[in-house]
Amino acid sequence: MQRRSFLKGFGAAVAVSAVVPSVVLAEGNKPTSPNAMSYETAVAAITGGKAVTVSSKIALKAPEIAENGAVVPVKVTVESPMTQKDYVKAIHILAKKNFNARCANVFLTPANGKAVFGTRIKLGGTQDVVALVELSDGSFISASQNVKVTIGGCG
Amino acid sequence: MGKRKSLIKIKPKKYKTGDIVKVDFMVMHPMETGMRKDKKTGKYTPAEYITEVKFFFNDVLLTKMIIWEALSTNPLFTINYKVTGPGKLKVVFKDNKGEVTEKSKKIKPKG
Repeated sequence: MQRRSFLKGFGAAVAVSAVVPSVVLAEGNKPTSPNAMSYETAVAAITGGKAVTVSSKIALKAPEIAENGAVVPVKVTVESPMTQKDYVKAIHILAKKNFNARCANVFLTPANGKAVFGTRIKLGGTQDVVALVELSDGSFISASQNVKVTIGGCG
Repeated sequence: MGKRKSLIKIKPKKYKTGDIVKVDFMVMHPMETGMRKDKKTGKYTPAEYITEVKFFFNDVLLTKMIIWEALSTNPLFTINYKVTGPGKLKVVFKDNKGEVTEKSKKIKPKG
């Protein structure tokens, strides 16, 4: 009886390890990023609980369909006079479903002359890209756009 | 690790004092998230990415950026900058391993 159950168990173990060794291994030592943060937490951390209004002042330029998620060009332009009294303090770019929702936090000064920030980001899948803008009076405005990704960029 | 290549481009090429110009800067960097597997060895490549970019004009900080893993390989940044006079632009890139890359460019406004 003992020998039979041992053989059964052994056979099952061999079968499992033969069929899905890579999957088991991958789950065993999959690294977790120390920067992992969900979208909601990231927004709360940036705004400190302040209300965010959707504004048409922000022009968020991103492709509607990105063939390659590894390179998605994003450009944010904010209408602002950029004077000492009224300027854009910061532009935050967030991707809702990436394991770390934060992409870039850019802190501008009036010396920039125009509130523009452009870069290229990686997207893990189809999701919304959000631009969160902090104005000099402490209020937050945002704009978002859905980007369809055919090949994910975060492997 | 050798020195990383980086570049600064100013558009348009001819500008005057008071003009707002577009500044593109780029650094050659792998931007590894640490979540990607090497297909040959089957091991995860360690994270390596830019964490901070600072943009100076005559050693005055104009723009500071905090960057996360989500930026593409060889990240490109575009910002605007108002020309206030002749001087030197400097960009400092810093990555999570403490490696620092610097690049500077002279500003010579005409007129």
